This record gives sequence, structure tokens and C-alpha cells, in this order.
Amino acid sequence: MNCPIESRNPEMLVDHANGKLDLATARGLKQHLAGCSACQEVVVRQAAIWRALDTWEAAPISPDFDRRLYRRIDEEVNSSWWERAMRPFRTMPLRHALPLTATAGLLLMAGVLLQNPGHVAPATPHNELVRANQVERTLDDLDLLRQFSAADSAESTHHDAM
Amino acid sequence: MHLDAQPCMQTGVNNDVVVAATATLDYDAELMLRVKEGDSASFATLLEKHRGSVIHFVYRLVQEQAIAEELSQEVFLRVYRSRSGYEPTAKFRTWLFRIATHLALNWLRDERHERGQERLDDISADLPVRQVSDRRPSVEQQMVGEVKVQEIRRAIAGLPEKQRAAVLMHKYEEMEYSQIAKVLDCSESAVKSLLFRAYETLRARLAHMVAA
Repeated sequence: MNCPIESRNPEMLVDHANGKLDLATARGLKQHLAGCSACQEVVVRQAAIWRALDTWEAAPISPDFDRRLYRRIDEEVNSSWWERAMRPFRTMPLRHALPLTATAGLLLMAGVLLQNPGHVAPATPHNELVRANQVERTLDDLDLLRQFSAADSAESTHHDAM
Repeated sequence: MHLDAQPCMQTGVNNDVVVAATATLDYDAELMLRVKEGDSASFATLLEKHRGSVIHFVYRLVQEQAIAEELSQEVFLRVYRSRSGYEPTAKFRTWLFRIATHLALNWLRDERHERGQERLDDISADLPVRQVSDRRPSVEQQMVGEVKVQEIRRAIAGLPEKQRAAVLMHKYEEMEYSQIAKVLDCSESAVKSLLFRAYETLRARLAHMVAA
């Protein structure tokens, strides 16, 4: 690009093509365009694009747009504090909500752990007694199960023999 | 056409128009301050004035009318929600379009993430001329026009997000560079550069159509 306008101030060409340049600048640019085919081409093509874009009309607006909006506003005005607090999360996509929930959960856990570091009941004689009793009861239960199992297998052997 | 959207600095529009534009700007802010005081009629006036431009802008960004209306409702809902903390530090219209752009671009990002480029492909899939089944000239012309519009839509949809928003504000909302810069939260020179690159791309993509 050797042309000073095209290299340093190309938006001027766009503005000129779109009819958005003030008269004095446009007059000066026209003189330049007369001798610069590259800039001339940009202006011609830009003007054509500008006209082409005019053909894209926006679709008509639904007649009940305002009614729907005011209904939402009414709902909002009459909503509880909890609904208002939860509002930002309602429209949040799942891919944003999941990491946020996971982070919040981790932070909560970290908070609980920091509040109660190593929350293990201290070993007292009473606790030790309870633990010993539990072990004893479990061993008794296992023994009982073993006896049932032995009796059951003896019975089935007896039936088979008959 | 919105007076406050006139590119006054560059077109050399006379002082009366500039004063009128400033008055319009002040009036919007004034209305919003009245909404802050609980005047719902002022909100209705703001809605009436900006409804069309917001919906059309969002529609051209997301290219789906139902979504555009839904997002535009959210824009006005957010304006209403913000009424109590509103301070007229920026032009009302700039603020409004900032909300609209933010919501629309977020929607586009989520949509693209969830569905890939499916939607754009759908648009391009609609393009083939074989759709022209009616042989009456008027209908043909109509269909050719529709195909042309579809090509423009596709070309704009293919632009990077910021370029797309900048082109739509520049072309259809007739916003100044400074206003677009505030909406997009970038410098004025960045907007000029964005727009030049966007139009350059459009000139290349629509060259065949423009030449015809």
C-alpha cells in the first residue's frame, strides 16, 4: 500500500463512501480520488456494500412485546427476596453453573474443615470401653453366624445321605 | 432516526441539530431519573422510543426474531431493575446498547458453544437457488431478494463478534465512533480499525453480489 490515505486513514474512505464525511474533508478526498485508482475502487465497492446492507430489513416486532415485558416486570416487583436472590442463577447455562456449584461446594467443605480441624473425639476411658464392647459384640455375631452356617451345611449333608 | 445517533463531528451537521441531539440525550437521562423516582410513565416513554432500535439491533446480531425479542425484554428488564441505582454518567442510549450487546454476545457464545456452528450452517443451507420454485417474475424477484438478504446475513454472521456489533451499530443505528467505542469498551481508533476490517471482509465476501 503506497497510498497515504489507504495506509494511514482508510476509515476516511469508508466514511466518504457512506456519506458520513464532512464537506471540507470530502472535497479534499475527491481530489485525491481523481488520481488514486486504489482508493477509488475501495470507495466504489464500499458504497455498493452500504446500499446492499440497506436491503436487510429487520423483522416486525410482536404486538404483545410490551405486554410480555410488563408482565415480567410485575412478576419481578411481586417476587420474594429469595426469588430475587436466585435470579442470576436461573438463566445461567449449565456449563457455567456446574463449575460454580463445584467451587462453592469445595469452598464450603474447606470452610467446615478449617473451622473444625481434626474433629475427632478424644480417646477417653469411656470411649475405649464402648469400642471394646462393640468389637466383642461383632465377634459374637460372627461366631453365631458361623454356627448357623455349620448347622445348615450339616443338615444339607444329612438330607443328601438319605 | 435518532438525533443523538447522528455522527455530528464528521458530517458537519449544523449547531441546531447538535443542540437537539444533546436535548434528546438529556431527555432520555431525565426520563430515567423520573423512572428512578417511581414514574412508570417515563419508563413507557423510554420503551416506546428505544424498543425498535434495540430489538432490530439484537435481531441482526443473533438473527432469530424470537430470541431477539426475549433478549430485548431482558435488556429493558435490566434497565428497570437498575432504576434505583441509575446515575446519568453516560448517554442513556449508549448504556442501553451496552446492555443489549453484552446480552446478545453472551447468548451467541453460549449458543455457539452448545451447538457449534450449526445455526450458521442452517442459514447457509437455506441459500441454494433451488428454493426458487415459483416461476412468476414477481415471486422470482422476491426470492432473489431473499437470497440476497440471506447472503448479507451470512456474511455479517461470519464476522467476528465485535466487528459484527460495530457494523450493526454503525450502519443501522447510525452511531458515532465514540458511542460505539463506549458500547464495546474500547478506544475510538480501535473501533475505526474494527469497522474498516469488517467492511473489508464484507466487500470481499459480497463482491459477486455487488458486481451483479
